[in-house]
Amino acid sequence: MAEPARRLEPAGTAAEPLVRVENLVKHFGAGLLTSVKAVDGVSFEIREGETLGLVGESGCGKSTLGRLITQLIPATSGTVSFGDVELTKLRGEKLRQQRRQLQMIFQDPYGSLDPRMTVGDIIAEPLDNYGIVRGRARATRIQELLRVVGLNPYFNNRYPHEFSGGQRQRIGIARALALNPRLIVCDEAISALDVSIQAQVINLLEDLQREFELTYLFIAHDLSVVRHISDRVMVMYLGKIVEIADSAEIYESPKHPYTKALLSAIPVPDPKIQRNRRLVELSGEIPSPINPPSGCRFHTRCPIARVPGICADTEPPLEMKAPDHVAACHFSDEVALVTAPAE
Amino acid sequence: MATPILSVRDLHTQFFTDDGVVQAVDGVSFDLFPGETLGIVGESGCGKSMTALSIMRLVPEPGRITTGEVRFRGEDLLKKSPEEMREIRGRDIAMIFQDPQSSLNPVLQTGYQVEEAMLVHDKVPKEKAAERTIALLKQVRIPAAERRVKDFPHQLSGGMRQRAMIAMGLSNTPALLIADEPTTALDVTVQAQILELLEDLNREIDTSIVMITHNLGVVAGLCTRVIVMYAGRIVEEGPVERIFDNPQHPYTWALLRSIPRIDASRHERLRSIEGLPPDLIRPPRGCRFHPRCPFRVERCFTDDPVLEDVGPEQRAACWVTMKRAYEEMGARELVDVSPGSASGVHSAAKDG
Repeated sequence: MAEPARRLEPAGTAAEPLVRVENLVKHFGAGLLTSVKAVDGVSFEIREGETLGLVGESGCGKSTLGRLITQLIPATSGTVSFGDVELTKLRGEKLRQQRRQLQMIFQDPYGSLDPRMTVGDIIAEPLDNYGIVRGRARATRIQELLRVVGLNPYFNNRYPHEFSGGQRQRIGIARALALNPRLIVCDEAISALDVSIQAQVINLLEDLQREFELTYLFIAHDLSVVRHISDRVMVMYLGKIVEIADSAEIYESPKHPYTKALLSAIPVPDPKIQRNRRLVELSGEIPSPINPPSGCRFHTRCPIARVPGICADTEPPLEMKAPDHVAACHFSDEVALVTAPAE
Repeated sequence: MATPILSVRDLHTQFFTDDGVVQAVDGVSFDLFPGETLGIVGESGCGKSMTALSIMRLVPEPGRITTGEVRFRGEDLLKKSPEEMREIRGRDIAMIFQDPQSSLNPVLQTGYQVEEAMLVHDKVPKEKAAERTIALLKQVRIPAAERRVKDFPHQLSGGMRQRAMIAMGLSNTPALLIADEPTTALDVTVQAQILELLEDLNREIDTSIVMITHNLGVVAGLCTRVIVMYAGRIVEEGPVERIFDNPQHPYTWALLRSIPRIDASRHERLRSIEGLPPDLIRPPRGCRFHPRCPFRVERCFTDDPVLEDVGPEQRAACWVTMKRAYEEMGARELVDVSPGSASGVHSAAKDG
């Protein structure tokens, strides 16, 4: 793929931010006076060339956040900047031109491809939309993209149903790569695949990142996969970011009790370890995002919350707890003392 | 060891489709002992769920159990009449499914549905059923059980619905509980709670559990013995520690190395299994895994391997086995994984 090489910072270092999100809010109307606070005031950066993992349980707002960043849905308030351009200010053709650089890969390899289009047309659709290549060049580009994602380049005339789930996900990846984007948002991109196929697609995403200097926002509920692929990990709970840190650091010393509970719940495929692990128990259920708890949103389930007290009254800010490690907890020093998974 | 509570022998379940006969379960045999937790693992289409449904005699059309035996407490379930099977299901053998949403009736109160499960089997007098329902919901740790019995399924969260399903399954204290991916649709924190619950139940009321899952982490925590299935067959079985520490079938070995682990350091490249699972209408000759196997020898192309002892209580169906692969074939943890190769990029590029 011929495209002028972009500068690539080594992953994990303090590279220039590619995406800057400030105070981003998305409320969905749920009635006359109520709204679902899906994303409720988040600020963070995605650094050029990195993979930022985004985890959290169903309903925490992670998918909504992915869609806000790619401008698939409009924000209620707040800004998303891409490089020097504030995307949330743009409309119409100007936004359309910027969007080329932000692509998305979806979870469902069956639902995200039009069954009546050939694979070649699916992959070339973004190119056609922007009127980039025609005729011979278009055909060459399709074959090039198929080859890049590890599919036979002569499969361009086949239809999606002729492919397996893993191969369809490769088609989705080829489509996302067609416009030489700089950022790809992977929304549960491998969750629907079988384990042996998951590994193929994870390896492919890593190869493509190296080859095309891509930046990923990798959204998934599977923390093991996120830890594997990400340079940094961001944890969300009920529309808020609770913690962001380097992926090894967040696993070794989480500074938010929710992160710790989440980590303790991941089953490890090793009977000796798994048998002796102790779960950090969370009380109750996830509260409704229509009416989130006061103060710290996690206080109703937190094992170390002061209730009544500061946790129920004051929302903790997302602040620096260690180098390059932010968390939103009044008592982050105590997180290490919360029952740890025993070795 | 004691006599097995469940003995499956040479089970064949086939689907008669327009395209041909799908051999979904192809000669599966295993034993389950009282109080044991047995994991059946494998990927989509390997036959693990169909094995479970065959035991329950709930194979959907156009599927049919063609031959085999399913002995439960010594009696062959495949010879029972539909009425006798209805009696056994829910009373002696209970099954819980992945999706509690579709397994509960949306227009009936949750408590009523649990009660009904007891009343059909006349296990509890009607007056006692309501009381026992609340006790069961408490046992599966549904908070405010007295109030929750009146809730309709949509008023419960996903985790609570799955707990209600488990309460229903346990209402007649079955001797055997078959759980088919019971936590796959749930969030990890809820999954962990459900698994702890199953573990406690196994300990407290001595129910034998068959856990069907694709998640090797789930098996590692809950099960004492594991069966690995591939393309309708058992390829390896043994005690959980042996299977995880010393797998002998290359499929088990590769599967364990293809999953990222939360406790592993970053950027060990994952070992992916090349290719796709076979078409079960026309499965490959010889060993069904040979087209994807990194350690295949000539014999694997033609001869079908059978399960043989490869260690204490451990059996594998492989002509080579990992012992030989390590000793003679230079198998290493990440052998033949050069950048690009495992993602399929380079091999495809070579073809093109």
